[in-house]
Amino acid sequence: MTKPKVASDWLAGCAGCHMSFLNMDERIIELTKLVDLRATPITDLKEPDEEGVDVGILEGGIANSYNEEVAIRMRKRCKILVALGDCAVFGGVPAMRNFAGAAEALKRAYIETESTDGSGMIPNDPELSVAQHVRPVSDVVKVDVFLPGCAPSADAIYYVLSELAQGRMPKVEGEFNNWH
Amino acid sequence: MIQLTVNGKPVEVETGSTILDAIRKAGFNVPTLCYHPKLVPYGSCRLCLVEVEGARTLQPSCVVPAANGMVVRTDTDRVKSARKFVLSMIFSERNHFCMYCQDTDGDCDLQQAAYDEGMTHWTITPAYKPFTVDASHPDFILDNNRCILCRRCVRACTELVGNATLGFEERGSGSLLIADNNVPLGESSCISCGNCVQFCPTGALIDRRSAYQGRETDLTHVNSVCMDCSLGCERVVKTRDNRLVRIDGNEDIGFNDSLLCYDGRYKPLTEDRDRITSPLVRRNGQLESITWDEALSVISAQFKAHDSSEINAHISPRQPIEALSAFHEFFADHFQVGEVTLLGHDQTALACAKLAAEIGAFESGISTLKDCDAAIVLGTDMVKDHQVAGFFLKRQAINDLKMFTANSTHTKISDWSSNKLEYIGTDYPAVVNLLESYVKGDAADLSTQLQNLSLNPERAQKVLGNLKENQKVVIVVGKEFARVENLPAFRKLVELAREIGAKVVTLKGQGNNFAGAVFGYEMDAQAKSAPVFFLALGDDQACDHTRDALAGSEFKIVQASYESAVTEMADIVLPCTIWAEQAGHYLNSDGKLGLNQQAIQAAEGNRSVLDVLKILASKSGLTLSETWRAAVEEKVAAIVLS
Repeated sequence: MTKPKVASDWLAGCAGCHMSFLNMDERIIELTKLVDLRATPITDLKEPDEEGVDVGILEGGIANSYNEEVAIRMRKRCKILVALGDCAVFGGVPAMRNFAGAAEALKRAYIETESTDGSGMIPNDPELSVAQHVRPVSDVVKVDVFLPGCAPSADAIYYVLSELAQGRMPKVEGEFNNWH
Repeated sequence: MIQLTVNGKPVEVETGSTILDAIRKAGFNVPTLCYHPKLVPYGSCRLCLVEVEGARTLQPSCVVPAANGMVVRTDTDRVKSARKFVLSMIFSERNHFCMYCQDTDGDCDLQQAAYDEGMTHWTITPAYKPFTVDASHPDFILDNNRCILCRRCVRACTELVGNATLGFEERGSGSLLIADNNVPLGESSCISCGNCVQFCPTGALIDRRSAYQGRETDLTHVNSVCMDCSLGCERVVKTRDNRLVRIDGNEDIGFNDSLLCYDGRYKPLTEDRDRITSPLVRRNGQLESITWDEALSVISAQFKAHDSSEINAHISPRQPIEALSAFHEFFADHFQVGEVTLLGHDQTALACAKLAAEIGAFESGISTLKDCDAAIVLGTDMVKDHQVAGFFLKRQAINDLKMFTANSTHTKISDWSSNKLEYIGTDYPAVVNLLESYVKGDAADLSTQLQNLSLNPERAQKVLGNLKENQKVVIVVGKEFARVENLPAFRKLVELAREIGAKVVTLKGQGNNFAGAVFGYEMDAQAKSAPVFFLALGDDQACDHTRDALAGSEFKIVQASYESAVTEMADIVLPCTIWAEQAGHYLNSDGKLGLNQQAIQAAEGNRSVLDVLKILASKSGLTLSETWRAAVEEKVAAIVLS
């Protein structure tokens, strides 16, 4: 039996959810016996296999056009998509800027901050992605498993992945359902 | 009784019960947000919707009365999906992101409701509309972004506290929680009792001191009674890492129904006086640190060097009964010192004890104030002192409670009622004579009496004209009136009350003033200077009288928690535990015992009044008895009606 392939990526998040994934410590060895860990931000392979993976994991919300692209690509290449953490599930901390708007947030960050010397400007290279209204992943693509938390505990992540690896849909409830 | 079925189970409830009452009595539950057992049901959140057979729509169970033969279902798919939809709508309306809220993980009813429904995400995108935040108040912040419009705060402010500061402006999803006519909360009529914060189910009312200091489950909860006045409100002190974090009203026990005033909730957390950290002795005019052994030896030597009549002992009523009892036993019974007195000017407890000795038990409990037709308040300002008892009158005054107040200065409590009569002055015997005239109805000189007290005859007739016919008259007696010199008038008042079936409630100063009277302390700050003056001040502040008595004494022993003018002048200072660092009982106005449990550990070097007394007693070859309960209960029964 081939092991299910798992890939992950991060969008507008803080990497904390991936840190929490690593917090499962030695259980990660157990997990690699169950799954084939493919592209992740903390492995060498950076893009999920073109031929597809079984489980895709996304940390972070959709805050710009690049996040949107990555989310759509992951959705296309995975069978089951997991939204990992409060930012992926709800929009999270980056979504705070929605109360003022992306333009206001950029102005504050690049021009009005106390440490800016008056010559501040908002980066406008056409190569750069365009800031958007921050959305949860499920506003852009279909999400199959929501694992909220800031960050979700290592136990919760281990539970979800080990269930998926064994062909079951995890039930996120009790202590694993934590909105923080 | 009404009979109905809930989820197929028959249940019987009293007439007037709601469907929610029946559901809970049948052993089921539905989630609620706007519902609170201490408030009138309101039905705004729609979370408690249930299916009632024959009804076209789902029914809000918290407001719909239970009826005979009703068939109620709480567990159908229709109910469950409506519940999730209601929650989704609430989450989408404002900023309900848990990850940047201070009120999470068991502290927030909204979050808990989502967990209970198994929600892992939101199905409706939030509106991201910013609402106003009012951070003008020193004790709490009002964040409309976190508000679910349940109005529990508004209802607590009006229905329970009777202050009616909080209200709403605008309509529907744009509704805003405001103070008065939309003034900043910090400049409003708010009395900072903080009950709204305790009643808020979400993070919309943020307690400044406990915000981000840990979840409720991270804090250690300890039962306490407030000793700031004689009501002895039951409260819960919440601590973390030996720090006082928050104080809330106790929702399970006490006459106060979880209500507290500023003095009980916030004042203890604002303490900024400097602590005394070591025993001090005066040498060459300066206070210097010494060891406890040295300090206690100096005190014992002073006691030995003087005749006991040359020693006066004075203690704060903020000390627990255990300390008051031991203090009296040690100084009055064993030593028979010159005087054993209690700090403060309030003679109410003493006057009540003296009066009861003449005419028998006459007092009713504070809870009497919760339901009355007419209130006569003599010699106390219930907006300033004994505030929670004042809440009981204020909240009825809004509904035109008849109110007669007599006090040397204007008391704000009378402003609440439009049906009021106010006498400003101190001629209490004349006030009692006036009441007698109205009760007997045969005074020929009524108009002269009214004129002498500058009272409007029409208004007086309206408020006092038919006292006899009123079913529930309550007479509140406080410190200005209940003085030993007013005993004849007090006696006449109680006899009048008995005649018309009115209840008499007395407010007895602070902390353990009542216990002090029971133990036989002189209550009226008759403390006089003496060759040796022992002042057990604890965390209290000395009044002018005490300060003068101490200043005129030769050798001054002060047991105090904080530096002050009296510790500055002392010859020996003993560092003392504060209320939260010691356990002990308090006897409230009703004669009920409350236990203040120890909430935090004192820093090394602090000792309680009681512990020091025990050491001093053993140095004198005495053992203190430590039994007081039976004596207290017996004496209370002679004063307060059971």
